Formats: sequence, structure tokens, C-alpha cells
Amino acid sequence: MRTRLTTLAAALAAAVAFPTAAQDAAQGAALAEERNCGACHGARGIAAQSPMPSLAGQPAEFVTLQMILFRERLRDAPPMPDMAQGLEDGQIEDLAAHFAALPPGPAPDRGEADAARVRDGAALSQKLNCGVCHLPSYAGRAQIPRLAGQREEYLVHALTQYRDGTRRGSDTNMNAVMYGVTDAEIGALAHYMAQR
Amino acid sequence: MFRLSATIGLAAVLALPPLAWAQQAPAPAVPGWQQGRPDSMAASPLAPHAPRMTVTAPDRLPTNALRVPDGFKVEVWASGAPGARMMAEGPNGTVFVGSRTIGRVYAISEEGGQRRVRTIAQQLNQPNGVSVRDGSLYVVAINRVLRFDGIEGKLDSPGEPVDLTAAFNLPTEEHHGWKFTAFSPDGRLTMNVGVPCNVCEFDRDRFAMIVSFRPDGSDRRVEARGVRNSVGFDWHPTTRELWATNNGRDWAGNDIPNDTLHRVRRSGEDHGFPFCVGSWNDPAAPRRECGEFVQPAAVLGPHVAALGARFYTGSMFPEQYRDQLFIARRGSWNREQLSGYDVVMAKVGADGNVTGIEPFLTGFRDDANNRFLGRPVDVLVRRDGSMLVSDEQNGAIYRISRQ
Repeated sequence: MRTRLTTLAAALAAAVAFPTAAQDAAQGAALAEERNCGACHGARGIAAQSPMPSLAGQPAEFVTLQMILFRERLRDAPPMPDMAQGLEDGQIEDLAAHFAALPPGPAPDRGEADAARVRDGAALSQKLNCGVCHLPSYAGRAQIPRLAGQREEYLVHALTQYRDGTRRGSDTNMNAVMYGVTDAEIGALAHYMAQR
Repeated sequence: MFRLSATIGLAAVLALPPLAWAQQAPAPAVPGWQQGRPDSMAASPLAPHAPRMTVTAPDRLPTNALRVPDGFKVEVWASGAPGARMMAEGPNGTVFVGSRTIGRVYAISEEGGQRRVRTIAQQLNQPNGVSVRDGSLYVVAINRVLRFDGIEGKLDSPGEPVDLTAAFNLPTEEHHGWKFTAFSPDGRLTMNVGVPCNVCEFDRDRFAMIVSFRPDGSDRRVEARGVRNSVGFDWHPTTRELWATNNGRDWAGNDIPNDTLHRVRRSGEDHGFPFCVGSWNDPAAPRRECGEFVQPAAVLGPHVAALGARFYTGSMFPEQYRDQLFIARRGSWNREQLSGYDVVMAKVGADGNVTGIEPFLTGFRDDANNRFLGRPVDVLVRRDGSMLVSDEQNGAIYRISRQ
């Protein structure tokens, strides 16, 4: 029975929602240009400066969700809540389609991998089951963000906020998973993800 | 039905390593939705579905896919209310709608044959609970209780609400901390306090309960204990007994446990969580004799997320629907083949026993592709006898009426 359950789980594609959003990546690109998103997040969605996150290749639903949280002032990360004011839902979906379509990649100033910290981070990721939701490649899916190649200090910032309860996602799961994780462990996790 | 599922399910559970109760700490290192998941299911790709918090255009709603019994029709009543969940109707016909992630409360009113959607409160932490009493709207978020007096006279500018948070003194735990609220026939504001995990050791005098208060937050009374998380209930129109839906836990297999329907005949009785669902002993909890707990009035299917539940008290539907319980099943995530995503009717006999569960509104689930088109969360019987159904995924409300 155990084998059957696991096999079934692996074989079946995850159930998905019927896509009803109207997204236009070209319009999103124009809007990103107009709003100057690239000044912080990079012209092609790969941030070149600390502590900005890269957005290239992020799942569209993740970007949409975060932009709504900014606009509704449910997530505080200045200056984003102010910058998101006045955006229509459709504009947010267009922006999300634009960033999702950009090819992901590491930050241009990414340093050398530290083998020991990569090993520690990988072990911790295994223990915390990060890959179950974020996928084993850490490419993310739906409302769950891409972690692979993200800027390291941004990952430290985000994971620390989840641990300290100063940030929430679409639900409270990340707060629960980060409970009790130490600064050193967060550092290893971030290093490992950034180097993927 | 329950006996069959329990037998099949028991085989699945016996093959899985039992979870050590002592390891289920109150502050776990895995997300709430992963707790209680055996290692053998760690490779499962199942995860909660993404919410949608953007407006779905009316022409992209799945209305044409929806099905109701002969003689009924279903149409879009309102749209453009992302995350729409629990509903309550004011004396003048305004429908108030709570939400979770998007943090808003909507007011939907009829103007010139059209519906107008206003956002009357925002930036709240999962304001799922909305109830109306004496012209006041009560909004219950995870950590706050707010009262908007004379709300229907000031929808454009609701002003500052009366803050009753301190009086109610609700737990601040977030997981399963969102509330369903309704006023009982004797005027008590009644709500769930869900368990702050999937399955774990917890304070049974604080969590997994249905509790009621006077409207000012005083005189807390336990209506039911051992109810994992009830996000929908109503009182029987003639017996005045409380009937509540309940969400079963995750990660015990595709077909167990069932979500359940509970009939609360006496306040304060124990309905069995985390020990039993009907006759099924949960292996994640210490073993107890299931016969010592109140048995469910009905089982509602595994992982279906049975939420909003209301008795039909109108006169528009035929006589056989009167005093029957309509239940919105939001739909599963912790099951490989989707289940739920519909509204069913629990047939309640004159003796108060459930004689069957029948489909009423279907079509949200696309079995061939194992996908869903919408997620029904609540049902509301309006004064004209029509029924509203909220669709959280599409931010829409449908109206079911006689043809």
C-alpha cells in the first residue's frame, strides 16, 4: 500500500486550477519599463544590487500574489507598497506574465560557492522538505517562488522575516517551517539556494 | 458509507508507520499542512492550491459548466470580489462577504437590477467571519472582532468600527485561526476555534471547539469540543439544534478520514478530535474508545473541505427542500483525485437523522483533467428564497432560483 500511494503520488500530475487570468507579457514588459522596475530588479529581471530580489522566471501566480499583498498593504517592503498603489488586477497579471517569461539566472555578482556551506544548506533543505513545494529543482510553482539562483542576501532577509513572523505568504506555512531555524542555518540555506 | 471508507482507509494507515504523539510539538518545524504526513508520503507532490486574488472577468467564470437539478437555474449574481468566502445578509438586503488572504470585507448591494461591490474593510488578517445583528455588522478576523453599527446606512463611508477584540480575547494562533461566525437563535455570536496544526497535541480547552458569546464578548460558552475545524454551521429551523461541518485532517491517505457533519444536541459535548472520526481511531493520536464521543451525524467525503452549511428556510424551492441542509464543499488538495468542489444537500428526516447526501450544484470539478474551475465556500438563503453560493477562486457569487 505504501508503495502504491507513493507511486500514485509521483505519477499523477498535481491538480491545477483552470487558468482564467488574462495575461499579456508584452503589455507587462511595457508597464515594467514605464514603472522602472528594472532600476532595482534588473533590466531583464535579474537584480544586480543588494538586497533586491531577482524576478526573472518567477511563477506568474507568485508575482501576482505578492503584488496584490503590496497593493493591499498586507506585506510591508518599502517602497513596494507605495509603488503598487493604483495598479489594476489585469496590470498586475501582465507584469507577472512578463517576469515569468524572462529567463532566470544567477546574480552577475554572485560569489564562489563554499562547498561546506552548500553541503549544510542541502542537508537542511532535505530536512525541512523545501523541495516538496518549491520542487526539487527549486524552480517554484504557482504561488510558491523560485529559489534557485536568487540573490543570497535577499534569501537571508526573506527567510529571517518568515522565521520572525514579520512576513506571511498566501498562508502561514512558511512561518511554521522556519520556526526555530538559526541565523547560521538560514545563512547556509540561502547560500545553497543562491548557488543552484 | 463511512464503514466502507473506514475499512479501506484503515488498511492504508496500518501500512504506514504510526506517528509518535510526543514528537508533535506545539511549535513544529514543518508547515501546518505537512504535519502528520508519514515519511512514506514525503515525495507526494500534493500541496495546497494557490489562491487567486485578482478579479476574474464575468465572461471567464465557469457559469456554463455549472449544473443544478431540473427546475432550477444558476446564474452569476455578482463578480469582482476576489477571495469571496462567508456571506451574511443585512436587513435591507446588502450581502456582506468575508475573505482570507486578501484581507477584505465586501458589501454587495442591488442597484437598478445590478449588483454593486464595495470594499468596506481591508488590511485585516483573514476576516472570514461576517454576521449581522440588529443592523450591526460583526467582522471577525484571526485576532480581531469589529462591529460596524448601522452599516447599511453608511456603505460608502463605514467609519471606525467598535473594537471588541479585548472582550472576546480569542487565541492569536494563525493556523486554522480564521473564523466562521453566526448568531444563534438566542442571539449568541458563535464561532469555531480550529486546531493550530494538522494533527498534534494541543489544549483541548482552547482549540478544536465551537464556542459562543454574548454579542459584547462576555459569557463564553463551549458549544462543542473535539471539532477539528468547523467553518460552517447553522441551527435547525424547528429543533434549534446546532449542525456543524468539520474538516478532517490531512495525510492519512486518499480516502481517510472523512469530513464530517456534527449535530450538537447538548452544549459542551466531545466530538472526538484528535482521537476518533466516527469509529476510526487516528493512529497519530493516543488510542481512545471511540464510543465515548458523539458520533457524526453524517460523513461528507474525504478531504472535500466541507465548509458553509445552511438550512433551506425559504419558500421559493419545492417543499422537499424545506429544512434540508445545503453544504458547500470547497474541494480537496490532499487527495490525488480531486473530490468535492460542489454544493450537496444533506437530507434531514423529521427524527433529525440524515438519510442521504445528494448533489445540488455541480460542475466546478473537471474529472477528466483532474482540475477545478471554482471553489464554492458558502451558501446563503436570501429572504426571497433564492440561494447564493460564493466561489472563492473566482471572486464570484452565483444565484440559484426556480426557473
